[in-house]
Amino acid sequence: MGTILTIALRNIGRHKRRTILSAVTIAAGLVVFILMDSTLSGIDRMSIDNMINLTTGVLKIQTVQYEKEKNTFPLTYGINGSLAGLEAALGRDKRVTHATRRTQFLGQLSNYEETVPVVATVIDPAADTLVFGLKQYITGSYFGADNTREILVGRQLAQDLGVGVGDNITLYALTKYDSRNADQFRIAGLLNTADPTINHSGVFITFAAANDFLDLENSVSELDVSVKRNSNLAVFSREVKNIQAVLQKDFPALRVNTFLDIGAGVLEITRAKRVSGTVFMAIILIIAVVGIFNTVFMSVYERIREIGVLRAHGMKPRDITIMFVLEGIITGLLGSAIGLAAGSLVNVYLVTTGIPMEKVVGSIATASYGISGSIYGEWNLPAMALAFCLGIFVATVAGIIPARRAGEIQVTQALRFV
Amino acid sequence: MAILDLNNIRKEYLKGDKKVEALRGVTVSIDKGEFLSIVGPSGSGKSTLLNIVGCLDTPTSGSVLYNGRELGGLTEQQLSDYRRDNIAFIFQSYNLIPVLTVQENVELPLVIERKYSRPDMAQKALAVIESVGLGGMADRLPRELSGGQEQRVAIARALVKDPLVVLADEPTANLDSKTAEDIISIMQRMNTERQTTFVFSTHDKRMEQHARRIVTLKDGAIDKDERR
Repeated sequence: MGTILTIALRNIGRHKRRTILSAVTIAAGLVVFILMDSTLSGIDRMSIDNMINLTTGVLKIQTVQYEKEKNTFPLTYGINGSLAGLEAALGRDKRVTHATRRTQFLGQLSNYEETVPVVATVIDPAADTLVFGLKQYITGSYFGADNTREILVGRQLAQDLGVGVGDNITLYALTKYDSRNADQFRIAGLLNTADPTINHSGVFITFAAANDFLDLENSVSELDVSVKRNSNLAVFSREVKNIQAVLQKDFPALRVNTFLDIGAGVLEITRAKRVSGTVFMAIILIIAVVGIFNTVFMSVYERIREIGVLRAHGMKPRDITIMFVLEGIITGLLGSAIGLAAGSLVNVYLVTTGIPMEKVVGSIATASYGISGSIYGEWNLPAMALAFCLGIFVATVAGIIPARRAGEIQVTQALRFV
Repeated sequence: MAILDLNNIRKEYLKGDKKVEALRGVTVSIDKGEFLSIVGPSGSGKSTLLNIVGCLDTPTSGSVLYNGRELGGLTEQQLSDYRRDNIAFIFQSYNLIPVLTVQENVELPLVIERKYSRPDMAQKALAVIESVGLGGMADRLPRELSGGQEQRVAIARALVKDPLVVLADEPTANLDSKTAEDIISIMQRMNTERQTTFVFSTHDKRMEQHARRIVTLKDGAIDKDERR
């Protein structure tokens, strides 16, 4: 085996250019795979984080009746009856970090010339920042101490109405008792988030303002909960489902939904992105297979006389095959090692610095939970290990067919070969 | 005593649709320690006969016996084993493995044999390299050698495993007169010292002169079999 390996190694060195080309093909495949996987994982994480951070929370608890009629955002099916017990139960669960109350309603925003339908959310300014991350997307300011006449407005919505921070704007809505009301609010801040719904049609006011404006009487339509985050999404999801099951059992009159239930559509898009990434990776691997196949095949063709000599001296066809397969494996190992090193190096940049998306593609406006700021990569060590092994496996498989041919060559024909 | 008996060997090839008879009933017996030359014009069947003697090819009919053992019907693997244990080859164009050093090329048959330890292989290889006059060149690569030196390496590679028979196909064809004489004298010396049987095909009159037996082939059959 030692000499077979020596011959294989030296042959690889003998045809440096060809070896480098094959190794680079595999390396390129690996680099693309590592970077794609890293970026897609980063985008997935960012999409899910944004979804949790802006709209769904980790858990959203509403009454069963409210959930049935949630498209009309009714103010009459609040969870206030169960609120104390629910908050006490959440307080006992060590995995739960915070909870905040929210109430949503439909309204219209007007600058006196134009009126635009909006989805308004009533929030508790202090508690909301512990569960949701609206504050980090604000231009202007968050709610102040006297917030009964303050409103936060989606930036696109403000642009559509031609208003900005500090301007007054009128909000129309039906009160809890179905009477129409209108009130003037001062725009404290504009929201430019990764959720296009907020940007285009979202407004936020405080419970203090809504109690007055909607006769709300602190009616709470949902309780949103944050949970200690585990970096592994699968483990985190299991934990969240476990909390959901416990709460659902203890509070049968309420509907406990997780971000997985609410954001099923977003998660479906995430899965679709994964599939397209895998297809792309498969194409690159096929190119690598062809490259390695060609390398080993050329190597066999050029060394037919050598094969004849080895066979004449009694080397078995199997050993000849092993020798050429080894060349494929070593080339694969070389390419995979280069790919892993280069991919890791570039990924360090992706993970630490990220890709500034706004600079790359301009302002982002997407139909689903998108990305804002920079996309950061993720370290996915199992995927990297898999890619490394796959590179070697592909090189081995690609080398087997020409290597078997080498073992089957007739000795007399091989010795006559010029 | 005959170590090799060929009885009524026939070999037919198909060249396109046409059947070609390369050997037509060759019968020859070769004793241990012979220095035998097979001569004849191109196409007379010299190489085919050598290939059959060397178990590189099988006859269409007839039998080949090594030390009384019939080789007909052996599988490809068994023929590989037989070649590995008993036969060595010297080729017209040396056919050294270009990526291996002189010593590694000479060790190659021992590596394939798998009978010796690394130090034993090195010792045997260096001894035979010395005996063909290439002492001090063990670490060189084939491309750093002259044609004559390459053929000496090929002879060392053939002799390193002490084979029963060394088969040489036109071993001096690519060499100048002086180098050819050197190669012939090395082969003769090995034949005398080790009692190794040499069977070689040649067009070279100088080689013929040194042979102790000359088998002349004509149109695939033995025309003359002369002993000196």
